[in-house]
Amino acid sequence: MEDTLIVNNVRKTYGEVEAVKGISFSVKEGEVFGLIGPNGSGKTTTLRMISTLLRLTGGSITVCGHDVSGDSDAVRKVISYLPEDAGAYRGLTGRAYLKFMAGFFADGEEFERMVSKGIELADLGDRIDSKIDTYSKGMARRLLIARAVMPSPRIAIMDEVTSGLDVINAYETREIIKNITKGGVTVLLSSHNMFEVDMLCDRIAMINEGRIVLTGAPEDLKKEYNAANLEEVFVKAVKG
Amino acid sequence: MNHLLNLTKKELRELLTPGAIISVIVMVVIFMGVGTMIGGAMNDVTSASKIGIVNGDEGGYWSEFAIDSIYDFYEAAYNLTPEEASEYIIMLDSPFGDNEQIAKEMLDKGLSSAFGIVEGFTLSIDSQIQTTIEEYYIFSNSGLLGTASTLISSTIVPWVSNCISVELVSDITGPAPAEFMLNPIDQVSAPQYTYIKGNVYEGVTPIEISSSIMSQTMMVPIVIMMIIMVIGNMVISSMGSEKENKTLETLLTMPVTRTTIVGGKLLASAIVGLVYGLAYLIGMSFYVGGITSSANGVNLADYGLSLGVTDWGIIAVMIFLAIFCALGMCMILGAFTKNYKAAQTMMLPISVLAMIPMFVTMFVSWGSLPAVMKAILFAIPFSHPMMVMNNLMFGDLTLVLEGLVYLVVFTLVIVLITVRLYKSDILLTGLGQTKAGKMARAISSKGKKR
Repeated sequence: MEDTLIVNNVRKTYGEVEAVKGISFSVKEGEVFGLIGPNGSGKTTTLRMISTLLRLTGGSITVCGHDVSGDSDAVRKVISYLPEDAGAYRGLTGRAYLKFMAGFFADGEEFERMVSKGIELADLGDRIDSKIDTYSKGMARRLLIARAVMPSPRIAIMDEVTSGLDVINAYETREIIKNITKGGVTVLLSSHNMFEVDMLCDRIAMINEGRIVLTGAPEDLKKEYNAANLEEVFVKAVKG
Repeated sequence: MNHLLNLTKKELRELLTPGAIISVIVMVVIFMGVGTMIGGAMNDVTSASKIGIVNGDEGGYWSEFAIDSIYDFYEAAYNLTPEEASEYIIMLDSPFGDNEQIAKEMLDKGLSSAFGIVEGFTLSIDSQIQTTIEEYYIFSNSGLLGTASTLISSTIVPWVSNCISVELVSDITGPAPAEFMLNPIDQVSAPQYTYIKGNVYEGVTPIEISSSIMSQTMMVPIVIMMIIMVIGNMVISSMGSEKENKTLETLLTMPVTRTTIVGGKLLASAIVGLVYGLAYLIGMSFYVGGITSSANGVNLADYGLSLGVTDWGIIAVMIFLAIFCALGMCMILGAFTKNYKAAQTMMLPISVLAMIPMFVTMFVSWGSLPAVMKAILFAIPFSHPMMVMNNLMFGDLTLVLEGLVYLVVFTLVIVLITVRLYKSDILLTGLGQTKAGKMARAISSKGKKR
């Protein structure tokens, strides 16, 4: 399998603050890759740079062969980004929101197919025609994930996707993510929930203070550090 | 689907909510209602009103003469025959001097003003001693227009005084010389000539022209200012809301150029602005129509001051460009907001920029402004559509064209800055991490230490 995403020595500074200090990793096609680390470690900044939202201070990122700095329009055609605590346009209905988003990717029959897929994925029943501001957090998140998956992106980038969800909604969200990878979609997600990452990801990169501490498959890392879970791996890797 | 159309439709759906539409309709209805009400009140003021008369000199020659001359006044001012005028001129039964009784009778008969011809009125005049006519009023808390009908008494007394003068002088000189001696200069039928746009017109004065122009143009600056404030507030709030809900972050990762995103937002807001503008214009025209309906307006077209189709086209383009500029400025300011609440405070500079030209253009003409004020007014893009009607009427095309070019350039610059901003990190990170942001923080912390 070829690398869908290549992050090479990427740096990002905000004024004098260096948020990301030369990180490198790659993600293969169809893989679920987790970027894990504590709050403020640089996960969101990295995802935003991959999603063309922030400019790189140094290094390079290649998504499906397109450079994010030089060919950001092409990158945006193959990615789908779901920010942490993302919301939707509250004045629109779920269906209108999916139609609005699908309008950027397709038209004609392809557009109709995409919207139908989104409605099916959101699984909101009759509530798909209700205004989004009447949705619960779980319903809104299902709609947003459906939006992210609906255009069949090459890479789905999800930041803290289950943050703030109850057990049932978090479980259902993880099931959706598992299912979309069956269709060959590559998933890059960030989380500080080590349990979730352990369950979902084929490989992970642990990030701390803007640097990648270690990379590998969860099982391999647990064995290597003789740890019961990823949390223990992280602590041992950081504190030595 | 066309991305610009897709974005514009979404923005329109967000901006034209049922609540927003209802508020505009309510505003139009309020303006129409107030305009109709003021129009009615103005008609009351300018139409004949009832007056009462208490004659303390009953049977006296000059008091009867004074009452007859009041009938003459109603004929001259309102074209009423003596029979018709008798419905307006009410003789009161109350005795002269009993003010309480007079007031009660006035209230009973629905009069707001009355005259009292003093005792010995005839004797005083015959003795060539100045006399008086007393005035009685009923004050009711009905606003400025409600009390305006009482002004009639201040018109009638001088009329009566003049009639008595003519009669007195006639006794000595005969009727024709009396009129001449009291009014050697007949200004009423005197021809008036006014030079307007290269032609000399007869029978019109500058004040008549000005008031007619004012009645047609005064609503334009108000409407533009209102549109800018309402739509600007919507755009800034929408930006704040998009940032708060992170919908902007999602939108920026869609396969669409930043120019299209900015264009869609601006276009939708400008369309809403025009819809609001039209609604405000209809409402305001009723309001202003109510105020000016009774004024003696002149037909501006007779003096070469009308506007043609091209002129209206230029006005529409200028209004659209000014709204575009305002929206662009709002989007730039909105880029620095963190949330919906913070966005509300960002409107202040735009509101001030809209209010300055509104007040200036309503009261002062461009030509009478000092150079510094002209420069300030020219630099504010909203000034140009506020001044354009006047300038087009008077053929000041240089200023119109300069304004148009300036607006086009300003709009392009604003759009370019907005697009550039949308391509930068500032939209997501704010000013906090930039050099400008640090400088602002440093200044603020120094201020706190002091």
